[in-house]
Amino acid sequence: MAPQLTLQAPLQLPPSEVPAYLNRLWTDNLKDSSGAATFTLVVWEPSWLQQQLIRTGRADGPITGLLNDQLLEAAREAIGALGLPASTAPTAPDVAWALGQLPGSHGAEDLRGQFVDRAISAHQPRRLITLAPTLAGDQQLESTVAAYCPLPEERGVSADACGDVVVLRGGMGAMQQGLAMLQELIPSDLPCWVWWNGTMDESPELLEALAVPPRRLVVDSSIGEPRRCLDLLVQRIEQGQAVNDLNWLRLRTWRESLAMVFDPPCRQSALDQVVQLDIDVEGQHPVKGLLLAAWIADRLGWHLLNSFWIDGGAGEGRGIGAEFQRSDGQSVQFRLMPVPVGVSKMHPGALVGLRLICAPPQRPPLCVILCSESGGCMRLEAGGVASMELAEEVVPLPNESEEMEMARLLGGGHDSTNPLLASAAALAAKLLPN
Amino acid sequence: MAATQTNPLRVGLRQERVISPQCLVIFGASGDLTHRKLIPALFELFRQRRLPTEFSVLGCARRPWSDDDFRNRMAEAMADEVKQHQSAWQQFAACLFYEPVDLQQDEDVVRLGTRLEALDRQRATRGNRTFYLSVSPAFYGSGCRALANAGLLKDPSRSRVVIEKPFGTDYGSAQSLNRVVQSCGKESQIFRIDHYLGKETVQNILVLRFANAIFEPIWNRNYIANVQITAAETVGVEERAGYYETSGALRDMVQNHLTQMLALTAMETPGHFDPESIRSEKAKVLQAARLANEDEPWKCCVRGQYSRGGNPANPMAGYREEPGVNPESTTETYVAMKLFIDNWRWQGVPFYLRTGKRLPKRLSEVVLTFRKAPVQLFDAAGGTPTANQLVLRIQPDEGAGFVFDVKAPGSGMRSRPVDMHFSYDESFGEPSDEGYVRLLADAMLGDPTLFTRSDEVEAAWRLYTPLLELIEDAPHQLPVYPYEARTWGPSAADNLLAEDGLMWRRP
Ligand SMILES: NC(=O)c1ccc[n+]([C@@H]2O[C@H](COP(=O)([O-])OP(=O)(O)OC[C@H]3O[C@@H](n4cnc5c(N)ncnc54)[C@H](OP(=O)(O)O)[C@@H]3O)[C@@H](O)[C@H]2O)c1
Repeated sequence: MAPQLTLQAPLQLPPSEVPAYLNRLWTDNLKDSSGAATFTLVVWEPSWLQQQLIRTGRADGPITGLLNDQLLEAAREAIGALGLPASTAPTAPDVAWALGQLPGSHGAEDLRGQFVDRAISAHQPRRLITLAPTLAGDQQLESTVAAYCPLPEERGVSADACGDVVVLRGGMGAMQQGLAMLQELIPSDLPCWVWWNGTMDESPELLEALAVPPRRLVVDSSIGEPRRCLDLLVQRIEQGQAVNDLNWLRLRTWRESLAMVFDPPCRQSALDQVVQLDIDVEGQHPVKGLLLAAWIADRLGWHLLNSFWIDGGAGEGRGIGAEFQRSDGQSVQFRLMPVPVGVSKMHPGALVGLRLICAPPQRPPLCVILCSESGGCMRLEAGGVASMELAEEVVPLPNESEEMEMARLLGGGHDSTNPLLASAAALAAKLLPN
Repeated sequence: MAATQTNPLRVGLRQERVISPQCLVIFGASGDLTHRKLIPALFELFRQRRLPTEFSVLGCARRPWSDDDFRNRMAEAMADEVKQHQSAWQQFAACLFYEPVDLQQDEDVVRLGTRLEALDRQRATRGNRTFYLSVSPAFYGSGCRALANAGLLKDPSRSRVVIEKPFGTDYGSAQSLNRVVQSCGKESQIFRIDHYLGKETVQNILVLRFANAIFEPIWNRNYIANVQITAAETVGVEERAGYYETSGALRDMVQNHLTQMLALTAMETPGHFDPESIRSEKAKVLQAARLANEDEPWKCCVRGQYSRGGNPANPMAGYREEPGVNPESTTETYVAMKLFIDNWRWQGVPFYLRTGKRLPKRLSEVVLTFRKAPVQLFDAAGGTPTANQLVLRIQPDEGAGFVFDVKAPGSGMRSRPVDMHFSYDESFGEPSDEGYVRLLADAMLGDPTLFTRSDEVEAAWRLYTPLLELIEDAPHQLPVYPYEARTWGPSAADNLLAEDGLMWRRP
């Protein structure tokens, strides 16, 4: 934990002794304080990709749980070597799974939970609990604890700014076993975030047990089987839980760019006249594109009539089509198509381009095209667009890490789901054909 | 900014900067500003989901209200808003608390500390606090001291103090107030409010100047002939006579708002866009500013006071007839003056400032007039060629305009001026944040860019010291000329520019 002062070296303890030890620590060593009155952060940190890359000798240890450039590079190389489609994103679970089929037994020190991004530690979590499952399913449960305080030069060391870290490591069986103790470790009077930093389809019972309301759940709907991702999102939101989706948050620049096009009041009436919406995404994960489409449809008051699969050409994979009805009864056609890319972005289903065609009566149609900074969108620029009034924007790539995004949430969160995400997720789930 | 229509895609896109969990403590919670501006601004932030769940407002004043009294009073004061958003108000009101505190009683402030600790636990606000002094200026110093004595300003990263205007009444009082305030905490903890800095278009002066490469090379004495800064009001003194009689236009408008516009217009380019770099440049340019004639200040300043005006259908009282005003009052309701800035950029370029009540229009603007073309090739359709002008409109109809010459249609080669026009409404439609929404959010974010630093406030007061002294010691030398209500001020103000061969812009 870089900017922090650890009060003692991380201590390995038998799991059963952890709760009592932490109690003692706070009452004896740090008198009159129960630590920073902030929040608890529980992180499910399987880091399967990093573990597999290290095991197969494609990356160096230690296991940290943090994705850096070397790891992404190694993952991209592996995608080629494993014969996965070039559009596969390095964080897609397929990569770790395919690596899992390869032989190899390189080991490395496991420091998960002990490297905390500065952006996160700056918020002084009261307790940071990391669940670090190992590749070996039968590994025994181990636990490590440490108390920490901000460095004296940053703030006067007073116990009301201090917190502790707990790491639980072991095979999947051991994780289940640690669960009961873990619940005991989450203070009930402070807000708690559960960051499910893995795929949304893995270990459903664990997720169920960890992410109980009113704990705030943070997921990434670009990682996992699309149907499961959207259903889980919707189900949690409907239960009244505060859900944050990193995949949705990463749409911010796209939403901003599209809103910008329609800021001038003279353009706003065109929003009532949309007839067609096209979205191109990388690879076979449609969730991000569907969330964007659903957000637009919801904001513009469209009603979904039907949705269906579209067979793309050879090698292009399946697309999704849908028909909406505008509030004036006119119809809007929607198409989401996977497009092949040479080098994929970090997360599955990244957006490549968006095209919105508005047909105001007695005026030439308006065509709005947004393209991702890193890939043109020639497909969307082709096909009759030339005769329309064209508004094109390039959407900048967000250059923030997951940890920055997470820190932003921890910096000041809500105990209910953002209503825009709530509406978009529900509609996106309907847009995905069965 | 009146919105014609709102963009449905823009909803919820303003949440880039996250306000961290905290307790906002308002002193003067039973006062006018709290229910008229502060609580409405907070409710707006709440409805936009820009406040975190771990948040509370603790209202403080002397009267013995309960939490519920405070909630009910605020709901009454904002009845229309509350009716429109009832369930949101219920949730918001649950974050409102009240504690009777007399800022002059140390034990009250100590008790406040205990209440805050309890609230911190109850609301998980992480010991993070913003104290807002919305009390009489007489309590700014003692209020800060009481907070410091109670240990509430100890941690500079987790406590801030917002101070309302006016900050001092002259150079000396501003200096001593600064000394007191700075003895209570670090400068980075002190947020001095200037409402003009909360306006989007005032902030836009910075963006326009420093985001565009075309302006900076010509933003200097080689190209700019003079600068006029105007803040005109149509209203009279209204219910504020008690305060206004002791203040006057110079203190009420010029020292703060007009001077802030001057600083943003004239400052050098900051090295970074960080609060301290910007505020340093603003302070530097104010330190380089001076009255055009410091030895004989009456020659570069004109004061005025509105007299009766209007028409039989709508007669307007003169200032001296307004309720609460001394019938022989010599308080100025109008002031115009000429300044210079002694630095490489602006040497010799006159800056004309004017402000007044009961003028024909409500408007604020900064107008930069460029030098004439060195050689006049074309006949001007209007007789004399017009100089190029860049107009930064602060209110109303926020935007910018550029006046330049084009060929007049028809045979021949005569020139005539046209106006190129940018309007916030036409381009963005969306109403921008009300000033207090922006300023409260920034204070809670700990971003001091839009707040005035001690050296800025002092430099601003020092700039007008010769005038304030003259008004105090020899008021006859700076007479208050009457002007008819709803006219552009006394004719002496026109003479101030006529001496330089110029005219005020008639907007
Ligand atoms: N109102 C405006 O539009 C406006 C505009 C610009 C700037 N300001 C500035 O904002 C500040 C507040 O203005 P205002 O109009 O709201 O004033 P106000 O209506 O007179 O309110 C003053 C408040 O201070 C409280 N108070 C007085 N003595 C106190 C003490 N010893 N300890 C704690 N609280 C005390 C009063 O409540 P109790 O009597 O219950 O104690 C009352 O709530 C002033 O500095 C003013 O210059 C106001």
